[in-house]
Amino acid sequence: MIKPAASSEKKGAVLSIKTTIQDSIRNLLKKGMDQGVFDAVLIPMRVPAGDSFSYVLIKDKSLLNNAVALPPIMSVQGAKAVSSVTRLGNGTMKIAAVMRPCEIRATIELTKLDQVHVENMTLISIDCPGVMPILDFIREPEKAIKLFENATKSWDDTIMRPVCQICDKSSMIAGDLHIGTLGTKKDAFFIISNSKKGKDTLEKLDIPLNGNIDSWQIKVKENAEEKQKKRKKTHKDLKTKIGHLDNLLDTFSQCINCHNCMRVCPVCYCRLCYFDSDKVKHPSGEYLRRAKEKGSIRFLPDTTLFHMGRMMHMSLSCVSCGSCEDACPMSIPVAQIFSMVADETQGLFDYVAGRSSGEPLPLKTYKKDELHEVEDAHD
Amino acid sequence: MTKALKLTKNTEQGVREFVKFLLEKGNVKGVFTLKKINQKGSVAYSLITTSDELNDAVPFYPLMPTNAGTLLSRFTLNGSTTEPIVAIVKPCELRAFIELIKREQGSLENIYIISSTCGGVYPLKIVAEETIEKNLSQYWDAVKKGEMNENLRPACTGCTEFTPYTADITVDLIGHNNLDKECVLILNTKKGEELAKEMKGEFLERELDKETLKKFYDKRDAAKKKLFNEINTKMKGLDGLIEIFGRCIGCHGCSTVCPICYCKLCEFDSSDSEYKPSTYESELKRRGGLKVPPGTIYYHLGRLAHMGISCVGCGSCEDVCPVDIPLSIIFKKVGESIQQIFEYIPGKNIEEKIPLLTYEEEEFTEIEE
Repeated sequence: MIKPAASSEKKGAVLSIKTTIQDSIRNLLKKGMDQGVFDAVLIPMRVPAGDSFSYVLIKDKSLLNNAVALPPIMSVQGAKAVSSVTRLGNGTMKIAAVMRPCEIRATIELTKLDQVHVENMTLISIDCPGVMPILDFIREPEKAIKLFENATKSWDDTIMRPVCQICDKSSMIAGDLHIGTLGTKKDAFFIISNSKKGKDTLEKLDIPLNGNIDSWQIKVKENAEEKQKKRKKTHKDLKTKIGHLDNLLDTFSQCINCHNCMRVCPVCYCRLCYFDSDKVKHPSGEYLRRAKEKGSIRFLPDTTLFHMGRMMHMSLSCVSCGSCEDACPMSIPVAQIFSMVADETQGLFDYVAGRSSGEPLPLKTYKKDELHEVEDAHD
Repeated sequence: MTKALKLTKNTEQGVREFVKFLLEKGNVKGVFTLKKINQKGSVAYSLITTSDELNDAVPFYPLMPTNAGTLLSRFTLNGSTTEPIVAIVKPCELRAFIELIKREQGSLENIYIISSTCGGVYPLKIVAEETIEKNLSQYWDAVKKGEMNENLRPACTGCTEFTPYTADITVDLIGHNNLDKECVLILNTKKGEELAKEMKGEFLERELDKETLKKFYDKRDAAKKKLFNEINTKMKGLDGLIEIFGRCIGCHGCSTVCPICYCKLCEFDSSDSEYKPSTYESELKRRGGLKVPPGTIYYHLGRLAHMGISCVGCGSCEDVCPVDIPLSIIFKKVGESIQQIFEYIPGKNIEEKIPLLTYEEEEFTEIEE
């Protein structure tokens, strides 16, 4: 499933850690700012109350001291932060954006959908152990910080979002640079280039790309394979659980139509969702007619239709980040369901959302004469 | 004294039979009420047109999956209902519907309203936890005795507007000792009297027991003051706002579920709230760092300014907040303080205009100065 970038591009360096990996990353970014490689950095920072993190665009270097490259939670999907800054154009600032792999993948999807402009941005990802459900953090921040620290060391995913526990792309490099923490010696980390921009950036920072990253690649492969197995099993179990229409209806019956899942989805960028538009607002007679047909209808009706519709609209670009599930007030396993469907729809087109900016969206490469096997199966 | 109808059935059963009678007799063509949708205790508002389906109706279930004001507005947004229906809703839901009608987002025509004195609802997360059924007997016990329930939505705990203002029929719940044995429907309006006319039962003169409700009011009022005081100490100045709203993830779920926030496209989701890269650049030069997406507190303050005058304090906002921000108490508190300035109770009287429509050039000089 995971297509590595052309091997000529993917080169890395081994950097040493003096105090902590977080400090090393901060120093690297500071150096970039000092040398004019970056004008600003987009990176998470803990909020004043300490009960969350948010993306902050930083120009004042001293603020970088409080930046955290890998916070325990994903309060806002990074692609949304990128889109908020660059939706209307590239701007003139050179920005380094430090995010998780799935955030970068969502960003790449948004470039294809013309919702972000990253020409002047260097996208830097980092090996991701997953993120904790946001409420677990908010309810006990200090405890959560410790738990996350330990989990990052042991690469134990049990405290993470369910969809992170089955993420097989937690080290996927889709951006320009990647920070590797897997397969390293204790006091070292990798920085890996994945694009010309990445290579140029490292050159300007005097970091020669001559390190051996084999141990990282081996560990990442191992990890991905293990997670892939778990992912397949979880999806299979889920399919049995919600596979029939009755079960599907039952699963989504808890939905209260708040559309939080859609609102936090990095890929659902429509300003006005079809399912909030006038198209779904019917005259009373229509509701009564439908009620009389069945004796009773739920009001509002078409809750499951919303989820199926959203799936149709965005599953090819779903990066399985889990933001939807985190935002669901009714604890519906939305992300698990969507990730299951996304794997299948994307698999059909041999497409992985956000894997590469060079891969066009499947809907753009539509051919009249294809996928007969799918159509025929439903004849 | 007001006319009332007494049925010798437990209250929920009595109301169920009453609306069954209305459907069967053809007085109404549909019943809008809460209905059980599974065994786990999930309920959803439903539009019911056959009496069999009414067996699963749970009109007074202590949950509010969606504020029914929003739903009745959706039902009548494109014109009043073509056939008469009866809607069983909670007092704050009725008030929300009235506020929406004032904003031309719905119509009361051909709709009979049944409401009740309301003991409050539980937070929706109780559905996910599947614990609501366990709470029910305790809930109704407290309602019967006119006592406060614990662990309700905070907005309900501090709600003093538990008696409906404009229902055609009010069901006596709070402090009504014989809920298990009888069902008392107070027929407030001619419409209500007309509707109940041929129902089998005992017609009498009855009002809600003022003394019981006053005692209940006092308890709720004390709880409200406590909640308001708590939020007051936390919400001091800009720092206080940052402290409280800093964890907002910008999902705007609070506005989506708010019955008063009816705009199809919120100002804060519109292109007005998008900024050019050059704006970010100049702001960044000035400030050194910027939270992105920006405008978190601005959004909440803006929403307050837009809907505070009509906030009915239903608590839906807080229930959908994925990060547990105590929205309902903040909005209720600010809402009430705005409403008091205009001596306005949202949804109390359909004839009363929204304060912003009665603006006079020469007023509130004391505030301006």
